[in-house]
Amino acid sequence: MENLGRILLVEDDPKDVELTLTALDEYNLANEVVVASDGEQALDYLYCRGKFAERGPENPAVLLLDLKLPKVDGLEILKQLKADGKLRMIPVVVLTSSREERDMLTSYQLGVNAYVVKPVDFHEFVNAVRELGVFWAVINEPPPGSASKH
Amino acid sequence: MSGEGFMNGSDRAAGRSIARRFPGSLQLKNLRGYGLAILCVAAALGAALLLRHSNFRDIAVSLFLFAVATTSWNAGRGPAVLAVLLSQICFDYFFLPPIYSLNIDKSDIPSFVIFASFASLVSWFSAKRRRVERDLLGARDELKTVNQELARRSAALEASNKELEAFAYSISHDLRAPLRHMAGFAELLRKSGEASLNEKSRRYLAMILEAANRMGALIDDLLAFSRLSRAEAHYAPVDLEQVVQEAMTEIRQDLNERRIAWKIDSLPQWYGDRSMLRLAMVNLISNAVKFTRTRPDAEIEIGCRERQGDRVVLFVRDNGVGFDMKYAHKLFGVFQRLHPQEAFEGTGIGLATVQRIIHRHGGQVWAESKIEGGATFYFSLSKMGSN
Repeated sequence: MENLGRILLVEDDPKDVELTLTALDEYNLANEVVVASDGEQALDYLYCRGKFAERGPENPAVLLLDLKLPKVDGLEILKQLKADGKLRMIPVVVLTSSREERDMLTSYQLGVNAYVVKPVDFHEFVNAVRELGVFWAVINEPPPGSASKH
Repeated sequence: MSGEGFMNGSDRAAGRSIARRFPGSLQLKNLRGYGLAILCVAAALGAALLLRHSNFRDIAVSLFLFAVATTSWNAGRGPAVLAVLLSQICFDYFFLPPIYSLNIDKSDIPSFVIFASFASLVSWFSAKRRRVERDLLGARDELKTVNQELARRSAALEASNKELEAFAYSISHDLRAPLRHMAGFAELLRKSGEASLNEKSRRYLAMILEAANRMGALIDDLLAFSRLSRAEAHYAPVDLEQVVQEAMTEIRQDLNERRIAWKIDSLPQWYGDRSMLRLAMVNLISNAVKFTRTRPDAEIEIGCRERQGDRVVLFVRDNGVGFDMKYAHKLFGVFQRLHPQEAFEGTGIGLATVQRIIHRHGGQVWAESKIEGGATFYFSLSKMGSN
């Protein structure tokens, strides 16, 4: 695949990480995925801090964000991101188990770009993740300053 | 003058409740009342003597009346009678000629009678006022208790609602994740071990997947059900016929090639939450559709059985497989099913949902049926939100 955007996956559950990576891998989307296992790591990555201090300055093409996370939860990350002049352009997709209307409403109010509930059925899950990956990392033209593989 | 024996409202209420519990303290209180009577009369006498000494005239009667009024106001009937008697004796002894003697001249009798009557009148008024005050105070105390109880309950209700919400949220998020993992990894196992798995193992894997998916459906249904009771209802005028039409549109998509004879009577305009009523209708009608599946000529009728003032009874009738009336009480329970999963699929939440919606509309839901003889589901609605 050409012109593949980098995906930042923020997910604390290693099993979910593995399933998501498996789903992305079926369409060769997995090698440009960076995984942050809690909210703090995600922010560190976005602000090039801590162990991500050395990374290139580009933003990810899309942020796949779980809501329930250790330390800093997903909604908090979303809030900080959308309040930051430099980071607010990064497309954010909430990828969560929560079908709660409250979460959905808050996410949209905070300016999320898409809200996806992880399906229990594996085929549906794979389809959902694949379509997300293909759309945001391949089809969508990311905002200027995003990392992509040329 | 009235200093002693005067208590504010709550002291008095406390004194009363103590008096009720301890008869001894009731006597003490009475003694205090009589003491007050003596004190008031003595004070009035002192003042009258003092004033007479300073050459003020004809002030004694008013002062004694004042003493009687103060006593009866603060201490009740018994002490008031004592105050009247004492006043009369003092007045007779100190102020009526012949002074310093208890002898009464015949011509003074009317003034004694008038004094006594007037004093009784004052006592009667104040006794009445005391009773009214006591009732009022009692009512106030009762109201206070009721209010406190109400506040306590509403706080408890709010807390339990919050807890329920947190619980539902936690189910929604935390229970679904491991389920997804089960289904996901079972699927991956099936894929990676396709060649090496035998028929039996493949069947086991299929069953794991089926179970995981079914549990997912159960969780979703349970959440939708719990959301239903938490959601705020928006009561407004609704056209029940239109509600049925909308429900039918929703169901028709899943009908495929089914041959069903529909009979839909005209239904009244009513009041209620439109989307909830539609959900109830969808559940009832799709049940009718489901349980007539084995009939070559399915018939489903939707109509209005009675309409009286603020109450309307609608029904959904089918000629399907029906159920045994001895299990009728189980129909509306959460996850209750009267048919095996292989025969008729479902999670068993549909009728529980219907019942909850109808209850929120101030109505009842019930059913009549015979095995293999069809079923009729009735529900009544009151006019929620018509005011």
